[in-house]
Amino acid sequence: MAYAYLFKYIIIGDTGVGKSCLLLQFTDKRFQPVHDLTIGVEFGARMITIDGKQIKLQIWDTAGQESFRSITRSYYRGAAGALLVYDITRRDTFNHLTTWLEDARQHSNSNMVIMLIGNKSDLESRREVKKEEGEAFAREHGLIFMETSAKTASNVEEAFINTAKEIYEKIQEGVFDINNEANGIKIGPQHAATNSTLSGSQGGQQAGGGCC
Amino acid sequence: TLFLLREGGEDLPRSASMMSGTLESLSGIGEDGSSIGSDSEINGLAVRRTDKYGFLGGTQYSEGSDKDIRVDVARQREMKWLDMFNNWDKWVSRRFQKVKLRCRKGIPSSLRAKAWQLLSNSKELLDSNPGRFEELEREPGDPKWLDIIEKDLHRQFPFHEMFAARGGHGQQDLFRVLKAYTVYRPEEGYCQAQAPVAAVLLMHMPAEHAFWCLVQICETYLPGYYSAGLEAIQLDGEIFFSLLRRVCPMAYRHLKKFKIDPILYMTEWFMCVFSRTLPWASVLRVWDMFFCEGVKIVFRVGLVLLKQMLGSVEKLREVQGMYETMERLRNIPPESIREDLLVQEVVSLAVTEALIERECTIQVRKWRESRGELTHQPGRRLNGTRAIHEHKAVYTPPPPIHPPCSSMLLFSIGWLNGRCYLIQQVRGLVAEWTAPDHRAVYSFGFYVLILWVMFFLVVFIRH
Repeated sequence: MAYAYLFKYIIIGDTGVGKSCLLLQFTDKRFQPVHDLTIGVEFGARMITIDGKQIKLQIWDTAGQESFRSITRSYYRGAAGALLVYDITRRDTFNHLTTWLEDARQHSNSNMVIMLIGNKSDLESRREVKKEEGEAFAREHGLIFMETSAKTASNVEEAFINTAKEIYEKIQEGVFDINNEANGIKIGPQHAATNSTLSGSQGGQQAGGGCC
Repeated sequence: TLFLLREGGEDLPRSASMMSGTLESLSGIGEDGSSIGSDSEINGLAVRRTDKYGFLGGTQYSEGSDKDIRVDVARQREMKWLDMFNNWDKWVSRRFQKVKLRCRKGIPSSLRAKAWQLLSNSKELLDSNPGRFEELEREPGDPKWLDIIEKDLHRQFPFHEMFAARGGHGQQDLFRVLKAYTVYRPEEGYCQAQAPVAAVLLMHMPAEHAFWCLVQICETYLPGYYSAGLEAIQLDGEIFFSLLRRVCPMAYRHLKKFKIDPILYMTEWFMCVFSRTLPWASVLRVWDMFFCEGVKIVFRVGLVLLKQMLGSVEKLREVQGMYETMERLRNIPPESIREDLLVQEVVSLAVTEALIERECTIQVRKWRESRGELTHQPGRRLNGTRAIHEHKAVYTPPPPIHPPCSSMLLFSIGWLNGRCYLIQQVRGLVAEWTAPDHRAVYSFGFYVLILWVMFFLVVFIRH
């Protein structure tokens, strides 16, 4: 399907925080507690609309265990957005955020938008990390923040879409060099065609598949 | 086989206290094996039909399309394997080619567990370490590892009858095996990719047997794969990629063009020995060969998969992009990797141990040049049953008589390694003579003595 832009995302965070479940909820709109453990990397993709433009999100879901860290680093390359996930019912997953963030900053491009996500918000009775703590961490490190539940789908759409909005704004501001694929952004055939004629103001044309 | 799912786990042993025994993990299974959403939808009893491997659903469920071998052929094969079991050491040392051939044909399912244990030599570890497993189990273990293991128990083959129920026997045994390994090798601990490997073993054998088999896989077949830093797997990724250049230049160029590093697609393949990638019938056939021939099989299967998926212009046309290519490699259509087809391709691929070794040397050098010294030095990788057998023969305490002669003889035979059948026969005899519990060590010394005497006689007569 034709798209104006393609954004590459990566989902990172400790093992068992619900990375794969978030991805599945976003791409398939379902919660599946039964799934194989992620070893290496999994993928998902979905089309969203921002500002009347079709944007394809290509999401890379990674293994969370410490020993996979050296491999996860190679996935950061060319990501425009990252969802950094912790589990609000497990304090240690929150404590590890700094190392994750260091890794992400070190191995990705400097403009990568990072969304901090406190997952499992449906398990209020087992909460170990206050919402304010998440907010404070995000503020301190310049991240966007949101609490989600992959189980009830609460805020899942918003998390992925808000990240995309942020990236989109950065493109409009000219922060991202969209011609460099290493930034995790690709211009679709649709947009490339309209861009040349209308300097990219009006989206929505069905001019897909023009060039090779 | 009909499989009865039961609510709760009242009748389950309570050895692992953290397991509550609920059916939570079964909630994703619908009538047709599809997802049905939340766990409240299964209440009380539910009857499911498993496939012949015990899968209730999921991607690895076999639709009964696997053709069964004729009963008389199956029986015949069993007899042949039973015969081999009775004289295992002799078969390995003298008629290894035949053993290899039979593994390639597929081990009869009734004897698979024992065959794997003999092929990997884990049987001997088990026999020579009585009570060791229970000892390891009694240790408290490092909470750092136990915590992760517990979180992973319900995420291993959740659609297999053994591992479907939370806190069920399968998950309990999985915990026992993985925990025991972290106590056995505290410096290695637990790597998440070990869990599916252990689970496959547990589908075939009791926990203690599975444990020793896992030890062999982690330390002899794939040393370093599950160690911190995962250098060994990254190194094999480089070796794999350069082998691909030889075997299928078209796929190689395609992956290079889209900057798809081997680590992106081969990590799961290699670390789990394809147990999460192939249809189940193929998994078993690959493991049969893997236990016999070692890591070479892993490389070959991976190469065959890439050849199948990216080996022609038409196939490449459909996957013009990094993401499209990765999607294809993550979802390989089962019809293209049916067991017979796959095994045939794997067997006929010209990728030898020597070639892999050579490539390994090159890649280690490149690694040192670009990234410095390897931080983790795993033990030596042994290429399957014969190598393990020879290693065992050479590294057991030398016989008390004529150590220089025997080591000289072993050395020269090692040098002639695999040149002809006759040499293999001789090597088999030597391996047998040097076996630790073998009386023949004394007669071996005697033969060497006779050889020397004859040698001097010949020299003497010439003069």
